[in-house]
Parts: sequence; structure tokens; C-alpha cells
Amino acid sequence: MWGLNLPIVLALAAIGGVLAWRRAHTLVWLLYTGGALWAFFRFGFTVPIPQSVATIYLGITGLALVSYASSSRERLAETVQPIQRLILEPRYRLALAGLLVALPGLAAYNAYADLTMPLEAPGFGREIHPPPPTELTVHDETIDMATAENPYLHYKHDDPELYGKHVENGRRVYYENCFWCHGDGMGGDGMFAHGLNPVPSNFNDVGTLPALQSSFVHWRIAKGGPGMPAGGTPWDSAMPAWEKFLTTEEMWDVNLFIYDFNGYEPRALGQH
Amino acid sequence: MTAHANRRTRTAATFATAALILALPAVAQVDLGTEEQRAAGKVVYDKYCGQCHGDTGDGNGYATPRVRPKPRDFTTGKYKFRTTPNGMLPTDDDLRRIIEIGAPYTSMPGWPNLTSAEIQNVIYYIKTFSPDFENPDRYAEPIEIPRPLESTEESVARGRVLYEEQACGACHGEVGRGDGASAPTLVNDKGDPIRAADLTQRWTYRGGPTKEDIYRTFSTGLNGTPMPSYADSLEVEDRQHLVNYVYSLGDGDDPNYGTLITAVYSAEPIDLQDEETLDALFESAPMTRFPLVGQITEPGRNFFPPVTSIEAQAVYNRDEIAFRVRWHDLRADTSGRNNPSLEVPMWDEDNGIGGDAADDAGDSDDFFGDFGGEEAPAEDDFFGDSGDDFFGDGGDDFFGTADAGAGGAEFSDAVALQFPASLAPEETPELKPYFLYGDAQNPVDLWFVNLTYGVADTFRGRGSDSIEPTEADIVEAVTSYDQGAWTVTYKRRRSSRAGVSFAEEQYTPVAFSVWDGFNRERGNKRALSSWFYVYTEPSVEQAVAGPVLRAALIVLAIELLVVFLVRRRARQKAADEEASGATLTATEAPAV
Ligand code: HEC
Ligand code: HEC
Ligand code: HEC
Repeated sequence: MWGLNLPIVLALAAIGGVLAWRRAHTLVWLLYTGGALWAFFRFGFTVPIPQSVATIYLGITGLALVSYASSSRERLAETVQPIQRLILEPRYRLALAGLLVALPGLAAYNAYADLTMPLEAPGFGREIHPPPPTELTVHDETIDMATAENPYLHYKHDDPELYGKHVENGRRVYYENCFWCHGDGMGGDGMFAHGLNPVPSNFNDVGTLPALQSSFVHWRIAKGGPGMPAGGTPWDSAMPAWEKFLTTEEMWDVNLFIYDFNGYEPRALGQH
Repeated sequence: MTAHANRRTRTAATFATAALILALPAVAQVDLGTEEQRAAGKVVYDKYCGQCHGDTGDGNGYATPRVRPKPRDFTTGKYKFRTTPNGMLPTDDDLRRIIEIGAPYTSMPGWPNLTSAEIQNVIYYIKTFSPDFENPDRYAEPIEIPRPLESTEESVARGRVLYEEQACGACHGEVGRGDGASAPTLVNDKGDPIRAADLTQRWTYRGGPTKEDIYRTFSTGLNGTPMPSYADSLEVEDRQHLVNYVYSLGDGDDPNYGTLITAVYSAEPIDLQDEETLDALFESAPMTRFPLVGQITEPGRNFFPPVTSIEAQAVYNRDEIAFRVRWHDLRADTSGRNNPSLEVPMWDEDNGIGGDAADDAGDSDDFFGDFGGEEAPAEDDFFGDSGDDFFGDGGDDFFGTADAGAGGAEFSDAVALQFPASLAPEETPELKPYFLYGDAQNPVDLWFVNLTYGVADTFRGRGSDSIEPTEADIVEAVTSYDQGAWTVTYKRRRSSRAGVSFAEEQYTPVAFSVWDGFNRERGNKRALSSWFYVYTEPSVEQAVAGPVLRAALIVLAIELLVVFLVRRRARQKAADEEASGATLTATEAPAV
């Protein structure tokens, strides 16, 4: 879900819960927050996130933690007190020696892991649903994106037979053109999907079609990857500009079909 | 909803018991399900299967002209993936297996989301398409699949002898790359061209990659295809040795697709003409496999590319960089034309060689215009010249090569590496040219090799309709075809004034295209990859010990400093306290 590695995230949250329940010491909280963030960035995602982004976040939160700890004299005293005791009290001598050895060891390991980490191609984020244009011209016909709707959608109630014909034509268009990428069952897992980056959209997903107006989907179908603004990395998207292959009617029909197949309705006009 | 789910579990339970009862006596018998089950199966079929297998089960769905292998025609009663002897009907479990996991690298997907009962119902429905399922004589017991033998050297050697004796190589090629002498002539029962499996790429086996799957494949044969059954000609034990040999041909269980070529440094000169040292040079460079898929984004679409992956590596020295790519192809097509911008008429999107190009081209109107819509203006363009091409030289040439086999196709094999013409500006590192031949603002450079000539031509691409030859950089290439594998090695100077330079520690985008002339691929009808990267590894090996030691020492120093400071302060405090403590005792004298 959202590229998160759920077991790790849940484990981190659980540790936090236990600490809250046991009313842990401020120092423990600080160590936990720092450590948990580090672990979250290192292991918390199933999709690789750029190292530089993680470093920036960790740097900022590190500063925030330090300024929190030193925000008042009492808090500072409370935070450093256990450290002082560790260093000063003879009964902790062994623990101190252990720590003196362990921390450099950890640093060495971290440096080693960084140096020997298998190389990875650089990855960049992209906007999945970039803002659409206000107007859309397809085959010499211009529509207003805010008010346009699939012209055949209303047949669903007005004329079910005609609606069925449009859906069937959309089915034909889909299985002549789309399933290699978006998949037979529309899971975004067609037989070519493994070779594409970004991967084709998953139309089973409730976060995709139901969240979009039919005019947005029309825009994406007609103009494809190259029609996106830079935030959507148009140069990487294999999504074809279907106006090169299909009639306007065919594009609305396939639009109708992908909603119908999944049992979804487009987001209504004016709904945000 | 609950009632529905309940019904499902109940049906599933019934089936489980039924399966148990059936399994006990292990007698094959006619089981066509109930009327209700078949009706439920039809609902599933009409939603998920008919678009390929046809609403009447004849294999003629919407997708059929554009997929290869074609969807199974259920009216013939012939099935490929069976545990039953050659010519017999599959068991329900056989059908269930293919519906659950699909046939990899074909358009037949797995359907993991269907419930067990839904699958059983759709199986009952599929059976209604062929009268064979009512005929008890067409049923047989599944063959017994023994546990695989240990893969010892002797077993593999014995398997190799059998592979040669049985002439598997005539179709599959000597080392199994699907390049046997008769491979280009193979067709299935319906006259559609079919390729002998590439035995080295186990992950593409349609019937499954395990030793049991392989044993089953050549024990029962794949009905309707040239792949025979060897149950009669080979003893069980020999078949087990043969499994071990076929398995040993494989390049691993998994394609292990990567995203990065690591170019390694070498002090040696790179001499393309000196095969031996060149091979030695590439020996040290890691090899990465990249997935290729059909180009189906722009006109000239390629719906069934036979080449599904390419391997690549790179080395560089002070002045030059060399790339080596390798892929499998059933034969070397080295007599035809090819270049990245050759036109592909619309009718040729649906047809590879063989089959009935004329019919399909003739009724392609049906596909595009029959549902009341006016034709897209753009489409006119395709149909405009498709007619000409087809009835003119396209048609002639086409029939000229349909009985191919003897080499000499109309189009030659070819390959291209694609790089951006310049690297992304620092403030927008994600910016790249459009991965399909670039765009007007951000062009690409193509290092194109037509394998008829075996030399590299360079092109600058600003989109599919703007690909011009350039001569800014000299790219050299050598090529070889060996037992079903093409190898092409490129070399260029690392620095370039017109195109991209390969600096050390730089990530440079790279993409690949492969054309199989036998599949009539040319121009935009190609197999291609998305953008990947080549990383030029630093020439001086990075020492690990230094930085590791440094990190440890820095932390240790900080620790010691903290301990020292804390202790000193504590001592000072104690001293202060002692001093003030003396006064305290004097004035207040607290109890100790
Ligand atoms: C060559 C592969 C390919 C084919 C064929 C293809 N698509 Fe796509 N499509 C993609 C990719 C990749 C994306 C995701 C990247 C993007 O948004 O551009 C996508 C995105 C989309 C989106 C945007 C969804 C969203 O969440 O914004 C729609 C709608 C869509 N495709 C519809 C279709 C339809 C309808 C067809 C057939 C007429 C089709 N696609 C054919 C690759 C393909
Ligand atoms: C996108 C196209 C497509 C869809 C959708 C599809 N199939 Fe297939 N199917 C194929 C193709 C192609 C083959 C042939 C594979 C081969 O020859 O290797 C096939 C083969 C089969 C086979 C025969 C296997 C054999 O042993 O010969 C069965 C059974 C089958 N499909 C069942 C189904 C069922 C059930 C569904 C729906 C749930 C379905 N298919 C949906 C394309 C499709
Ligand atoms: C007449 C040509 C021919 C001969 C001889 C032949 N095969 Fe095949 N074989 C084929 C074809 C064609 C296919 C691909 C069928 C398909 O994809 O549906 C195939 C497929 C296979 C597969 C993989 C099936 C899959 O799951 O994709 C294996 C394994 C195999 N053959 C092994 C052998 C062995 C071992 C021999 C010799 C004992 C042999 N074949 C002899 C034509 C042949």
C-alpha cells in the first residue's frame, strides 16, 4: 500500500506505542524518534526512494530533535542526566566500555554498507494525476474540461440497450488496443507491463477511476503520456495518444467500458 | 452478499468432496457439471474470456488478430498443457492449472482472482464448446510423473546423447536457443506460425519451468503444435535424463531483469578486430538482462515480438567506451532492408509472416469502422498507403517470403542503442527525451546496426517522424551470429561534441531496440525497452578500508571527547561542592 513496507511500519509504530504506555524517558524518546525515522527511510518502503531525499529528511529531523532537547534548561538537564550517570558512575563502567566500542563499530558498518551497496539506477518521483488543461481539443472538437462528461454515460439510465452497445464497442477497443499494458482484468499487469516504467495504471484500484472525472480520463486517453505536463514525466510514459488511432466515439466508448467493467462511476462534476 | 459467499463456500466444499471421491478410484470419467454450473461459468466466461477465446469459443475474439500464439479454439478439443497422453483431453486439474497461472509470455494471463468454484464453472462451460468432452473414449488417465533424478554429470551427459538422437535440435537448436534448422518453417494445426521454445530461457516456458513440467511436456506432447510426444520412443528413465539435460541448458530460473549496466574500466586498448582480447575484456564486465516489449505506442505497432529480452555489458578505457549486446533469434536475417524510420503500413501491424495476411488486411475495416463511428482522420493515412503497399510490393514480397525458411526475408535483423543527445540539466535531473526516438526539444542518438551490413549507422531522432542520419561521431561495430545468438559490440570515443560524453561516475540513460526481420520488423515495428542507465564505474578502485576506519575513528574520538568533558566537569563540580560544602556544614550542618 502506497509503496510502504507494512510490517516494518507497523513494528515501528508498535514500539512507539509501548514507549508511550511505559512513559519512557525523554532520552529514550529522542533515540527512538531518530532511530525509527532512520529505519523508516532505510527499510520502510517497498519502492526505492532516492538516497538524497532520505538524507535531507534525516538531517532536518535530527536538527529538530536537538533543538527540542535543548529548548529549556530543565529538558536539557533531564535529557543528558542519564548520559552523565552512565559516564560517571562506576557501576556502569562495563556498559560504558561496551558503548565506546559498539558505536564506532556501528559507524564502520554503516560506512561499509554504503560503500558496498549494490548500485541502483537513479529513480525519480512523478505526479500520477497531474493537473489537466482547462480545455481539450480532440479531432478538432474542443471541450471544457470542468463541465464535459462522457456523452454516453446517461444512457445507463435513459437507454440501457444503447448503453450496452457503447460498452460492447468499448470492450472491442480495449481488447484490440489496451490489454497488453493494462491487463486482461485491468490490474495494470498486462503481458508488456513488466517492461514499462512507469507501470500502466491499475483500473481495479479504487484510487484511480472513481477518483477521476470522465473528462480527465478522456484527456489521458486522447493525449497519452506525451500530453502530460513535466511533473508526470511524459518522456517515460508508454501510454499512447489514442487520438492517433481511435475516433472520438471510440475513445468515449472505451472510457465507458473501463468504468463499467470495474463497476465504478466517474467522479461527478464539481465534486472535489 | 453473505448468502452469495456462503453459496460459494458450499459449492467449493462440494467440489472438494467430489474431487476426493473421484481421486480415490482414479477413473477418468465424463463430468460436465450441472446446468446451473455451466450457466454460472458462462457469466465468468463472457466477462473474462470471450474477448480472446471468442464468444462462441472458436478462438476468434477481438484480440485474436493481434496476439500470437492465438487464443485456444475450444471447439477443436485440442489442448496443449495436459497430464494425459498425446491426443487425449486434459483433466479438470490441467485446465484449472492453466487458468490459475496462465501461460507466461503469451497473452493468456493467470486469473488468481477467480474463486475455485468460478474456475470449476468456467471449466464446465468451456467443455460445452466441443463434443469431444461427451465422448468417454477421449478421456485417459494422467501419466505418472516420477520424481526428478539427481542432476549428476552422467545423467546430463546421457540426456545430451538423447537430445541429439531424438533430434530435438532440429527444432530447438543445438544448444536450445530455438534456432533449429526447421524452426522457421514450423506452423501449428491451424497453419499459424509457431516458434520452437527457447530452451535456455526457462522463465518463458508456456507449460511451466519445473523439471516435472518439462517431463510432462515431452511425455504428453503439445497437441495441435509440432512439439511431439516422446512417450513411445523413450523409456521413463531416459526421459528423466533428458529433463536434466534440458534443465542444464537453462540460463537460471529467473530472468533477473536489471536496470543498470555497470561499465568497468580497463587500461587495455579496445580492439574490435581482435576477437580474443575483446572477449577477455568483456569477461570482466557484469552482464545485465533487460526486458523488451513490443512497440505499441505509436503507429507501426508490434503486438507479438519474438525477442523478449536483451543482455548488455560495457567496458571503457581512457579514450573509448564499448558496449556489447546479445539476444536470441531463430535465424540470422541478413539480406533484407531495415532502418529505424521505415514505414509500416497499418495492415502489417496484425500480421507477421505466414497465415492469411490478405484476408486480415481485407477485413481490417471490420475491426475499425463497424460500430457506427466515423473513421479517425489519422487512420486515413494508414489505410491510404496500406492499400498500395499491400497490393503493390508489400503483397508480393509477402507471399514471396511466406514459405521462408531458406533465409532471405524482406527485412533484415537489426539492433539499436539509444542515448539522449545531451544529459539532463542539473536542476531537472529527471528530464529525458521521449523514450520512443526522442522529441523535438530533447533529441536522442541511435547507434543502429543493420545486420545485413554489420556496421553502425548513427541517427538523430526527434520523434518517430523525424529521424535523420548524423555523422557527428564515429561509432564502430562488429557482429556475429552463433547458434541462435546475435552478439553486437559497439565502440565510440568517450567524449563527443555533438552527443553525450561518458564521464566517470556518470549515470547515462540508455534504451534498446531489436528488430527481427523474420517477424517483418522494421521502423517502428520493433521490440523496445524503456529508459535504463549505464553507470561508468570509477577507474580507480575505491578503497573500502580507509573510509570505514575513518568513520570508526571519528566516532571514537567524539565519544572520548564527550567522556573527557563530562568527567572534567563532574570533577570540577565536585571540587566546587567540596568548597561550598565546607561552608554549608558550618552554617546548617545537615544530617548525613
Ligand atoms: C503501451 C502500453 C499502454 C497501452 C497500449 C495503453 N496504455 Fe494506458 N497507460 C499506460 C501507462 C504506462 C500508464 C501510466 C503512465 C501515465 O499515466 O501516462 C497509462 C495510463 C492510462 C490512463 C491514466 C490513468 C490515471 O490514473 O490517470 C488511462 C485512463 C489509460 N491509460 C487508458 C488506456 C486505454 C483506454 C488504452 C487503450 C485504448 C490504453 N490506456 C492503452 C500504458 C498503456
Ligand atoms: C487476452 C487474451 C486471453 C484471455 C482474456 C483469456 N485467454 Fe485463455 N488463452 C489465450 C491464449 C493466447 C492461449 C494460448 C496459449 C498458448 O498457446 O500457449 C490461451 C489458452 C487457454 C487455454 C488452453 C490451454 C491449453 O492447454 O491448451 C485455456 C483452458 C484457457 N486459455 C482458458 C481461459 C479462460 C478460462 C479464460 C477466462 C477466465 C481465458 N482463457 C482468458 C488468451 C487469452
Ligand atoms: C518438430 C519440432 C520439434 C521437435 C523435434 C521438438 N520440439 Fe519441443 N517444441 C516445439 C515447439 C514448436 C514448441 C513450442 C510449442 C508452443 O509454444 O506451444 C516446443 C516446446 C518445447 C518445450 C517447452 C514447452 C513450453 O512449456 O513452452 C520443451 C521443454 C520442449 N519443447 C522440449 C523438447 C525436447 C526435449 C525435444 C526432443 C526430445 C523436443 N522438444 C523436440 C517443437 C519441437
